[in-house]
Amino acid sequence: MMNLQIKTAPAGHIKEARFSPYENNGGTVLAVAGKDYCVVAGDTRMSEGYSILSRDVAKLYQLNNTSILASSGMHADMVTLRKSLDYKIEQYRHRHHKEMMTPAIAQMLSNTLYFKRFFPYYTFNVLAGLDENGAGVVYGYDAIGSFESIPYCVTGTGSSLITSVLDNQVAFKTQMKNKAELSFDEVVDLVKDCMTAAGERDIFTGDSVDIAVITKDGIKYEKFALKKD
Amino acid sequence: MSIMEYNGSAVVAMTGKNCVAIASDMRYGIRMQTLAADMRKIFKMHDQLFVGISGLATDMQTVEQKLRFRTKLYELREERNIKPSVFANMVSSMLYERRFGPYFIEPVICGLEDKKDQKNVPFICTTDLIGAQCFTNDFLVAGTTTDQLYGVCEAMYKPDMEPEDLFETISQCLLAAVDRDCLSGWGAIVHVITPDQVITRELKSRQD
Repeated sequence: MMNLQIKTAPAGHIKEARFSPYENNGGTVLAVAGKDYCVVAGDTRMSEGYSILSRDVAKLYQLNNTSILASSGMHADMVTLRKSLDYKIEQYRHRHHKEMMTPAIAQMLSNTLYFKRFFPYYTFNVLAGLDENGAGVVYGYDAIGSFESIPYCVTGTGSSLITSVLDNQVAFKTQMKNKAELSFDEVVDLVKDCMTAAGERDIFTGDSVDIAVITKDGIKYEKFALKKD
Repeated sequence: MSIMEYNGSAVVAMTGKNCVAIASDMRYGIRMQTLAADMRKIFKMHDQLFVGISGLATDMQTVEQKLRFRTKLYELREERNIKPSVFANMVSSMLYERRFGPYFIEPVICGLEDKKDQKNVPFICTTDLIGAQCFTNDFLVAGTTTDQLYGVCEAMYKPDMEPEDLFETISQCLLAAVDRDCLSGWGAIVHVITPDQVITRELKSRQD
C-alpha cells in the first residue's frame, strides 16, 4: 500500500511524497452525428505512463439499443461511471416502462458527473445515439458534466490532432463552397483515416479501433487495426 | 505559461513533386492580446530557400537578421547561393552556440536544392531551440499549433503532389489547425517554391 512519508531535508526544506488518485490511461474517442446515423469510434490501447497495459480494452460501451457511451481518461472511473449509468437506466426502464432515449441519458450523465463536482470522475465522455426523430445526435462532455449537442466530438490524448480534421472534412469550416452531406460509409472511412493519423503521431493511441454505427436498425460494430508501436 | 507560448505562431512546410510549400499564420500577439494581423514569420533567403520561424517574436526577428547577415556574407565569399542543407547546418550551429541561453525559436527551413544526380530536390528541415535537426520527406510543423497541425497534415498529406494541389492541401491544413488555437491565426500566408518561380498567396481566414 502507499505509505506517505514526509521527509525533512537539511536547511528546512520540507519534501512530500504525493499520492494522486488520478491516472490518465490515454486513448482517443470520437463520434460523428449524421442525418439518420451516428458513428462512434475509440482506440483500444490502455497505457500507464509510458507503458502499455493492454492492447484490447474497449472504450465504447453500449448503454441500450440506441446509445453508446465513449470515454477516455482514467479507466477505473470509466468502469464505475458505466456501472452507475447502467443501474440508473435499468431503474428508468422499470419505472417508466420504456427505454431511456439518448437526450434523456445525456442530461442524466451530466447530473451524474456534476454530483461529483469536488472529486470528479476523470473521464472525458462522448455520448452518441439517435434522438426522438431518428436523427443522429452526439453530446460532448467535460469531466464535471458540462455538455452540449454538437455535430461531432473528439476527446482524449489525440483530440487536438483529430478535431481540426473533422472541422475541415465534416463541417467544411474552411471550405464552405465544398460543403456536402456525408453518408455513413464516407464517415467511417474518414474516421479510419483520422484514427490512423492519431495513431501515427500520438503515443497513447494505437493497437486497434472499435467503430460502431448506430442506426434505427440497431448498432453494428467493426474493428480496424492500427500500428502497435 | 511557457516562453514559447508568449507570442503564439503556426508554421508548416510540406514537400511535393519538385516543389515545396511553407505556410504560416500572421498573428502578432502578446499573451492573450492580439496587436497586429500582418506579421511575417517566413523569410526569403534566396529564390529557392525560405525559412519560417516560430516562437518568441523578439528572438524570431533577431535570428532572422543574423541569418540574413550570415547568408549574405556566404554569398559574397562563395559567389553563389547557399544550399538549403548547408543553411540548415548553419542554423543548427548558430543555435547551439547559445546552448545555455538559447534563442526561444523553432525554425523551419524549406527549399529546393540540386543533388548529385537530381535537380530541384525538395528539402525541409526543422530544428529545436538549441539546434537539433530533424529531416523528413513529407511535412514539418512548428509553433503553438503543432498538435493540430500534426493531425491535419498526417490525415491530408499525399506524397508527390503538384504545386497547385500542394497549395490547396497546405492551405486547408493550416486554416483548419489555427482555428483551434487561440494564439495563432488572424490571417495566413503560403509560399510555394517551384524550380521556375515562387508563388506567394495570402489566405482569407477567420480574423479571430
